[in-house]
Amino acid sequence: MALKGLDIFKLSPKKNCKECGSPTCMAFSMKVAQGAVSIDKCPYFSEDAKASLNEATAPPMKTIKVGTGDNEYSLGGETVLFRHEKTFVSRTRYAVTVCSCMDDAAIDAKLAEIQSVDYERIGERMFTEMIYVNYAEAAGKDKYLDLVKKAAAVDRVLILGCEDPDVAAEALALVKDKKPVLNGANASNYEAMNKVATEAGVTLGVQGADIDELYDTLAALEKLGNKNLIFDCGVNSVKEAYKIAVEFRKAAIKDSNRTCGYPSIVRLDRLSQGDKHLQAALLSLFTMKYGSIIVLDQMTYAEANPVYGLRQNLFTDPQKPMKVEPGIYPLNGADENSVCLTTVDFALTYFLVSGELERSGVPCNLIINDAGGLSVLTSWAAGKFSAGTIAKFFAEQDIEGKVKSRKLVIPGKVAVLKGELEAKLPGWEIIIAPREAVQLVKFMKEL
Amino acid sequence: MTLFDVIFKGNDAVYGLTEQAIDNAIAQYGEDKPVAFPDTAYSLPCYYAVTGTKVGNLGDLKTALGVVKTLMTRNPRMNDAFMSGVATALCAEFIEVLKYIDGAAPYSEPCYGHLADAVIRELGVPLVTGDIPGVAVILGAAPTAEEGVALVKSYQAQGILVTLVGGIIDQCEELGYKTGANVRVIPLGKDVTAVIHVVSVAIRAALIFGNITPGDAAGLMKYTMERVPAFVNAFAPLDEVIVAAGAGAIALGFPVITNEETFRVPKSLIVQKDVSKFNATSLEARDIKLKITDIDIPVAFASAFEGEIIRRGDMQVEFDGSRVDCFELVHNKELSEVEDHKIEVIGPDLDEFEVGSKHSIGYIVEVAGKSMQADFEPVFERKFHSYLNCIEGLMHTGQRDMIRIRVSKDTFNAGFRLKHIGEVLYAKVKSEFAAVVDKCQVKVITDPEMCTKLRHELAIPMFDKRDERLTTLTDEGVDVYYSCIMCQAFSPSHVCVVTPERLGLCGAVSWLDAKATNELDPQGPCQVITKEKVIDERIGEYEDVNEAVRKFSQGALEDVSLYSIIEKPMTSCGCFECICGIEPLSNGVCIANREYAGMTPIGMTFSELASMTGGGVQTPGFMGHGKHFISSKKFMKAEGGIARIVWMPKDLKDQVADRLNESAKELYGIDNFVDMIADETVVTEDPEALLAFLTEKGHPALEMEPMM
Amino acid sequence: MPFTAKSGKFNAKINTVEVGTGDKAIKLGGENVFPFYTFDDAIENAPKVGIEITDGGMEAEPDCVQKLYEGCTTVVDMAKKAVTFDGVDFLSIRLEGGDPNGKNKSTEELIQIVRDVADAVNVPLVVCGCKNVEKDAELLDKAAAALEGKNAVILAAKEENYKTIGASAGLAYKQVVGAESAVDINLAKQLNVLLTQLGVDSKTIVMNAGTAAVGYGFDYVISTLDRVKAAALSQGDTTLQMPIITPVASETWTVKESTATEEDMPAWGNLEERGIDMEVETAAAVLAAGSDAVILKHPESVRAIKTMISELI
Repeated sequence: MALKGLDIFKLSPKKNCKECGSPTCMAFSMKVAQGAVSIDKCPYFSEDAKASLNEATAPPMKTIKVGTGDNEYSLGGETVLFRHEKTFVSRTRYAVTVCSCMDDAAIDAKLAEIQSVDYERIGERMFTEMIYVNYAEAAGKDKYLDLVKKAAAVDRVLILGCEDPDVAAEALALVKDKKPVLNGANASNYEAMNKVATEAGVTLGVQGADIDELYDTLAALEKLGNKNLIFDCGVNSVKEAYKIAVEFRKAAIKDSNRTCGYPSIVRLDRLSQGDKHLQAALLSLFTMKYGSIIVLDQMTYAEANPVYGLRQNLFTDPQKPMKVEPGIYPLNGADENSVCLTTVDFALTYFLVSGELERSGVPCNLIINDAGGLSVLTSWAAGKFSAGTIAKFFAEQDIEGKVKSRKLVIPGKVAVLKGELEAKLPGWEIIIAPREAVQLVKFMKEL
Repeated sequence: MTLFDVIFKGNDAVYGLTEQAIDNAIAQYGEDKPVAFPDTAYSLPCYYAVTGTKVGNLGDLKTALGVVKTLMTRNPRMNDAFMSGVATALCAEFIEVLKYIDGAAPYSEPCYGHLADAVIRELGVPLVTGDIPGVAVILGAAPTAEEGVALVKSYQAQGILVTLVGGIIDQCEELGYKTGANVRVIPLGKDVTAVIHVVSVAIRAALIFGNITPGDAAGLMKYTMERVPAFVNAFAPLDEVIVAAGAGAIALGFPVITNEETFRVPKSLIVQKDVSKFNATSLEARDIKLKITDIDIPVAFASAFEGEIIRRGDMQVEFDGSRVDCFELVHNKELSEVEDHKIEVIGPDLDEFEVGSKHSIGYIVEVAGKSMQADFEPVFERKFHSYLNCIEGLMHTGQRDMIRIRVSKDTFNAGFRLKHIGEVLYAKVKSEFAAVVDKCQVKVITDPEMCTKLRHELAIPMFDKRDERLTTLTDEGVDVYYSCIMCQAFSPSHVCVVTPERLGLCGAVSWLDAKATNELDPQGPCQVITKEKVIDERIGEYEDVNEAVRKFSQGALEDVSLYSIIEKPMTSCGCFECICGIEPLSNGVCIANREYAGMTPIGMTFSELASMTGGGVQTPGFMGHGKHFISSKKFMKAEGGIARIVWMPKDLKDQVADRLNESAKELYGIDNFVDMIADETVVTEDPEALLAFLTEKGHPALEMEPMM
Repeated sequence: MPFTAKSGKFNAKINTVEVGTGDKAIKLGGENVFPFYTFDDAIENAPKVGIEITDGGMEAEPDCVQKLYEGCTTVVDMAKKAVTFDGVDFLSIRLEGGDPNGKNKSTEELIQIVRDVADAVNVPLVVCGCKNVEKDAELLDKAAAALEGKNAVILAAKEENYKTIGASAGLAYKQVVGAESAVDINLAKQLNVLLTQLGVDSKTIVMNAGTAAVGYGFDYVISTLDRVKAAALSQGDTTLQMPIITPVASETWTVKESTATEEDMPAWGNLEERGIDMEVETAAAVLAAGSDAVILKHPESVRAIKTMISELI
């Protein structure tokens, strides 16, 4: 259980000196409790107080940072097992495999394919963030190093899949500044791999023949002082990989077993055994249940559209509804003469309404208001979706300049706005839509 | 003769006939001859349901008759009378089944006789859903055929299933009245024993829809009593056999209404001399509530018209409470004082007013019901605004005695009159509050003198009484609190505990609202929380409250206190109107309301405070609450109460000033306490400046014990 | 030192509800652990996969699905074919043509299809309504009657029509009653309580606690299912221990990812692949959140999900 802000405040200097950047010690303490700032920002906490607080506030699961610059990603750092308890903080990241066992043409094609999926969804860039560069001993070291260079030229975080410490060291020499992951420590090589990884300053991926060996190897590496780790859920079977992903997360968060408190890598490129639709299913399963990095054979739009949508849903704040960008959304080939409809910017409302409008096939302009991301009735009750705010939004966005139609359909649930809207938007005919989105298709066709 | 004697005599007579009939049949066919009703898996349904034993042949039937005989005890007690009634019914079933012996088809058009299981399944569903609100059993001949048919028709119009036995069948035929299962008027048979076919329907419904185990006679009677809304209308003259059969009906929970002057048994055997009142008497006796499907007005009724504005030029007439005496009122009455669906207009109607003129109006919705409470009056009343605005071409604003109504010319020309206001209020109150409103009548008054009189003598005293009730309601004065989990969609583990002195933190749900919500929708978001097992009086912690919170938060919350913000404070969902938080230097709390966008002396804005306090997590030292809670004597009572309030935004201060001053005077004897509280015009973020201000004002918090 | 985990098995269990009759009958629910947590305790009944056809027959299906039903002309032909695909545990017939705002087919016409389909196959059946609450009350009441003795799932009773459908399916004709609520644990619970109060045996209720395609408000689906399972298992809440059945196909095949043509969205590539993956990824996610059965449309989706389930159990 995380410490309460008040407990931290009791140990604080109570000087309100503002040196930490917060206006008061109380505000600072609350932020520390939330995990929003580090206690080290305050120069006046006693060392004893800090030590005891650090222990108490240390997250059950480590946050591991990989990559650099725009490509820096946080993995792990979760504090709960279910999203309704508290927001999941570190999105699952996806990697596609290339291997030195592949021929050059196949490698080039793969690297090109990786870059082909790149789009925006509700304000978030969606693409394959990582490349898993696998070392095939039979193909030799040079080919691998070439592959690493080639992959590094693509602007992605690399995961070097390599169990040979010497080869790994040479590969890291090429790309360590980009903070890749080195995945390849196991029971027999961990000391050497540890050396290679720590010298290069990169995160080390740990493997095991089974869950016990994996656990022991993690413990052994911790003993060597390395806590910049992630664990590989293995390639034995889907069942075992799921077990490792779930059991370790549970142990870390519920039982405070810190040795389990690292992010995970899930090797679907191996576990799916070439069954691409099974891979799609597992992609979704491990996104839901505790995969930090998921490695795939392929990520085309077919896999990407759903899984990025899923990820976006999964990693939202359960208390802050998702918002869409306010503005005019022309649907079904609408032009400036098409009828207008208006509603709120709550993402669920937008998807439901736009989906039904698309189903109707009637060209129309959907005008999304800035309503604080709340649903129709909630925003109306909060005064964020009123005749006044709609009129103001219309003026700010110059809707009348952009659209010629003067028919405006408003949600049935706020029929009460009609009179006032007619007064505030002179020249517009205000039409009441049905109360439920499903009734829109019929309504639009008859409009 | 006493009622008992009549029943016993009737029972004995039927028994004799049955015995004879069975003996004759055995003589004719032998004991092994099978007997059964067609198309049922429950032969003989009534006997099987009561005893758990099936009857297959005449020999079994003879044995069964022996069992029936054991029911026929003869002590002059109610139970004996009921059991003899049941025995009479079973005898009737035996007589009827003998009619079907050897594959005979004893009934022909228009009579149905025995009804198949399939019919019961089909009728059972609308019975369970209330689409068939009741089952009428009409027995004998009405004084005239016209009266008989009128009664049948009245039930039919209400969707009630009508079954006919005896003379009434001939009366329907005589007047050419259409009968049949498809129009839900089912003639069963002309012998009185045919009544068993509707009893059989009720009993099989209990077996099929109630999962009653055959042989569980008590469970069976409980089911028919509670779930089968049947009643009997028996026309004079009544003979002993009919009375004995009636006792059987009453045993199943079906009241008997008759026009013969006979014995009266409250709620069970009711004498109603006026046949035209059979319908109303029966519905009331069986507690049948009719669903209201449409509202009888000449213009449209829909939420699309809620926001309609009627401008002066479009207006036919206006009622304006700011100029003349107007009011709207819900008034809880006794059942006997209310005649359901009576709409009265007192005074001139809309067509007697000049176009564009201004008048008085008052409307009183009088309701009655077994579960109705005066506390619900304001809950219904608050909905009037939305009901009336849904009428096309009618605009309503305000509440209580400050209402204004405009009716448009178009609506007037469509035929809209004052009684239609009554129709709308009747229909909406009756349908939305069906759980508590059994009867409803509406008075619409435009007589100016009467409006003035009723406003001052009835309405205003009632409003005052309600206000007083609200202010005198205390946490100690009630036995239960309510949970509210309306926000769980957003804040899964949050539970509000609503008490009279601590309304929901959204500010929208008072204890009375929660109570009404619970009564109207017992499975809904507001549930009763008892508070019998006190753990700590000071902070307001109760074992039962904790249990409830644990349950409604699905285990996410262990324990809460009602009156402390430091120890186990109540959680917040995110909808709170205000947040209070500790300001350590001044030893008090600052309160920020949602509308205030600036900084507070705590060093956090409202939204920063909200992000730390929301989400159903306990955050000691911080708590979301409603505006009204600020002046409550229970506001952080454990930490010393409202004397801890050191800072509030000016707007909020103005809103709560009067009541807060009053509470402070009462609690601490401090005058003008609000003036001691700082606001953003004095200090926005500097705790030192706040402390200086408080010191200057001599704020009581500075003298209080440290909070932490 | 080997890894030791605390067991996550619960004392409470999800109800086991049998659907269908005879050899082909299936059992839904029965687990006392979170989804696929076989390491906490054995899961007796693996989640089940159903295949969906509609009263609209071939023409209502996307091209890629039609291709797999080649040679079928009637709904009955499709039903016969559907049950032959790998991994199909049950058949779902969705009567979407009944929607008064759509084709508005008569109840008689639709019930005849239900009867014909029931006669043609021997797998357990699920009948889904048209989503219009008034029409469903009528349609599903009649469907329950038509399928007497089949122990089918009638999907679904909602708050607005639970009395009719509950009384008909649950009481009169002893089918399994589906209880549908819109992604809210308290509404799900309330409907279960109401159905139970009506007299429906809680052991014959399955829930559809809400559904969406991933990316389309699916956050609410995850949290509702997570919370329902947590309440049922860790709190032992008997009013939420009904197994969950989730119609996936009807959500995923209408979103633009599954319908936009390759001409319109050239970058997106093969339409069939997009449709399958949308369905498969949504199904896997609802199973991971606790659904005990999913209803899919594309036979390849059925196979992939079935494979995933057997890999995990």
